[in-house]
Amino acid sequence: MVKKLIEKDTKMFLTGNEVLAYAANAAEADFMYGYPITPQNEIMHTWCKLLPKTEAGFLQTEDEISAGFSTIGGILAGKRAFTATAGPGNVIMQDAQSMAEMMRIPFVCAVMQRGGPSTATVIYAQQETRLTCFGGNGEGFRIVYSTAGHQDLYDYMIKAFNTAWTYKFPTYVLADGYQGKMREPVMLYDPKSRGIEMVPVTPYLLGEGEIGKDRKSVHLRNTYNMEEELMEVLDQYQEDYNKMAEEVAEYQEYKAEDAEILVIAHGIVARSAVTAIDELRAKGIKAGLFRPITIRPLAVKPLRAAVQRAKQILFTESANGQLAQMVLEKLYGLTTPYSTLYKMGVGVTGDDIVQKVEQMVKTPATV
Amino acid sequence: MARTKMVLAGEGGQGVQSVAKILVEAGYEAGKQVLYIPNFGVEQRGGVSIAFCQIADEKIGEPRFAKGDIVIMLSDRAIDRCDTYVDENAIVVYDTSVCTKKPECKCKKIIGIDANRIANEQLSARVFNIIILGVLIAATNVLEVSDIKNAMELALGKKFDAKPELRELNYKALEMGMNMIKDKVGA
Repeated sequence: MVKKLIEKDTKMFLTGNEVLAYAANAAEADFMYGYPITPQNEIMHTWCKLLPKTEAGFLQTEDEISAGFSTIGGILAGKRAFTATAGPGNVIMQDAQSMAEMMRIPFVCAVMQRGGPSTATVIYAQQETRLTCFGGNGEGFRIVYSTAGHQDLYDYMIKAFNTAWTYKFPTYVLADGYQGKMREPVMLYDPKSRGIEMVPVTPYLLGEGEIGKDRKSVHLRNTYNMEEELMEVLDQYQEDYNKMAEEVAEYQEYKAEDAEILVIAHGIVARSAVTAIDELRAKGIKAGLFRPITIRPLAVKPLRAAVQRAKQILFTESANGQLAQMVLEKLYGLTTPYSTLYKMGVGVTGDDIVQKVEQMVKTPATV
Repeated sequence: MARTKMVLAGEGGQGVQSVAKILVEAGYEAGKQVLYIPNFGVEQRGGVSIAFCQIADEKIGEPRFAKGDIVIMLSDRAIDRCDTYVDENAIVVYDTSVCTKKPECKCKKIIGIDANRIANEQLSARVFNIIILGVLIAATNVLEVSDIKNAMELALGKKFDAKPELRELNYKALEMGMNMIKDKVGA
């Protein structure tokens, strides 16, 4: 059992990467596997710096392929294990992440998005949105929380472990280089003080006693002989996923109730949207925000309701419409016109959104 | 809502990020809302390094802002890169002893300082960035000198204790930076 560092509410001034390490400890995580890549390195650094106090474990592997698979190994052995990565590291970790989907492993991973494609920048982007939701050769049986600042990082990192261990789908905290590197105040707390009990962790393998005599053998399948045999399993997964989606999907609305122009944004961009909306409202423009917190699965019903209420939609992302693509599919049949503000690998400021919305007031979207 | 947006840009290795850290730490300790984003490339030294800092009375929304209230440019490349963060309300400060050109932007005021030369000739090249910190607090007026000194103690206290003359050197650099700009900012 690891030693928890935060016993009472403690306000700290930290980088987001540091927050994630503290959150994992608060969630009673006992092992991290990882390989360095900017901008997530300080999650590992902080986790390691805290090891003498937490008595948790860490393994630096030879690459992200190995980090992903060793995380699965740790979980099979009964560890509340996790990993973190970014950019090209996230790309090459997809093999292990697919395996976690197939074998229903409660894999937890923090993704600190950087610019892409390929090495691109080490700074910031929202270009791993699609990859994190649908990477690998599967169907995206994953749960992805998109955070918008340090309090979110702490809250949702703790939640990610419980979601993963409850539903046995890989679960992600999707953030970015800004959130990883930036410093802002955050309140750290013991989850118990908020009524959060950590879901108990049980080993998949390495049970007590002799196989066949004291206990049944464990057969975790990653390969199937027959096409139909595979489909039968995946159909069941899909059913589980749909059921889970209703319980897990989260969203945030800001002044969306009477919004004529509804901004749809996730993560840190949604925070810029809040700044913009306050400014626009002061100018008499009825703008509002719909922010999916789980970008997979999406909270479809409230999303459709908010879109239906609005006269125009604005999709804005630090990517070329990766969230919009996922959202638009769920808006089939609605006719609210939309416009876009995409800055690939670049931060979206409040001013950017204000200007765009003012433009939409003058010349409404027709798409 | 009072919010001060600051951009500090220079070459990697000039100490831009170290100074930004002291600045926001001072703001945090003084009970302000603060948000700091470092922005740099893959190089350890030599790339353009930018710090985006915000100090406010109320909770800060957008982490990246479009235009700074003060934009400090400490190299030619920083001048090239930072034009985009300047508008007519901004104060631009650049170092005439590092830059070979003058920023050409439409802004409230462009102020040239020679912090690098003064650091080298009168103090030590190592406190160049502390002079810049002095310039920044005098130009923005959102923090007290005592807040900055407290934050310097948190960041450099151990070094100061080992070599007390370093504390004096840094205080002097801070003061010189503040004096350098005091009469130039205006209303």
